Amino acid sequence: MTFTDWLRADRLPHIWCSGCSNGTILNCTLAAVEAEGWDRDRTVFVSGIGCSSRAPGYVATDSLHTTHGRALAFATGVKLAEPSLNVVVFTGDGDLAAIGGNHFIHACRRNVDMTVVCMNNLIYGMTGGQGSPTTPLGALSTTTPYGASEPAFDLVALAVAAGANHVARWTAYHVKELEKAVKTGLETPGLSFIEVRAGCPTNYGRKNRIREVTDMADHFRTRSMLKTKYDRLVAEGKPVPADAIVVGEFVRRANPAMGVAP
Amino acid sequence: MKLVIDENRCKGCNLCTQVCPYRIFSPGARANRKGILVPVLDRPERCTNCRLQALYGRTLCGVCQLTCPDQAIGWVSERPYEPVRIEVEY
Repeated sequence: MTFTDWLRADRLPHIWCSGCSNGTILNCTLAAVEAEGWDRDRTVFVSGIGCSSRAPGYVATDSLHTTHGRALAFATGVKLAEPSLNVVVFTGDGDLAAIGGNHFIHACRRNVDMTVVCMNNLIYGMTGGQGSPTTPLGALSTTTPYGASEPAFDLVALAVAAGANHVARWTAYHVKELEKAVKTGLETPGLSFIEVRAGCPTNYGRKNRIREVTDMADHFRTRSMLKTKYDRLVAEGKPVPADAIVVGEFVRRANPAMGVAP
Repeated sequence: MKLVIDENRCKGCNLCTQVCPYRIFSPGARANRKGILVPVLDRPERCTNCRLQALYGRTLCGVCQLTCPDQAIGWVSERPYEPVRIEVEY
């Protein structure tokens, strides 16, 4: 039994671009779900709108493809109506942080028992590469042709502050670590939020000089910094690179959760 | 076990050429039916999972399969090696 048994073979090949990280993140999530040994009939995948949100369509379980930004609202409904179901939410940065921002903080506050995998590609990939709330300062996109001038959202800090029980961040380059983080999230009661930095060579890389897929992977590898190292640098007062992607597990706690099956 | 690339699913992103510790994958040079340069395998029998999957009974390494965004990399089982018997008729 491998995670490939969870895929709908008749729907593949999928529509994502060559080198899109969404497929990698889908693999890692399914591998974690497979390792957890969940029943395929008792697992629900929920998503909103966007590139990332096509993922549940390729999984051979029950799935909900809902309205833009409302994936967490629908997932909360599923979980509270039938707490014995296992709920996993696939969402993107435009879906979760922009239009669904309010649902996100309130799902974290309620600590609903589910796992949220956010494929953060720093841009609206499906509609043509417009700037999203997570586009970093100075990055080029269709709507920010002179560089983004607004500070970006830190989704991990937002989830920690709003009260999620397990918060982690990895990139699409760190497949094994990501699989472990998702597995920890599935085991944790309460809301588990995993932000995954995903590469979009077609729309983000093309405008920001990381057009090649392998360059995008190198970009993640060289800029990632473990949270322990980041904390040490901050404690010692040493400079931290501005473009560092801090990866690792940020929070794991046992706050009272909602919707846990008795 | 034998490492295979599904040519129907592969989109030629060459991510597998970067992650394999044995550098089994190398960028392809000839376009296939869909016009995609599918990576070619260089001595795939060196792959850890090919050699030891049956012994351990679980997937070893498997980073290429996890990384492949197009779910194109997999393993197929093959019959164990049998030395050819030659029967000499007198």
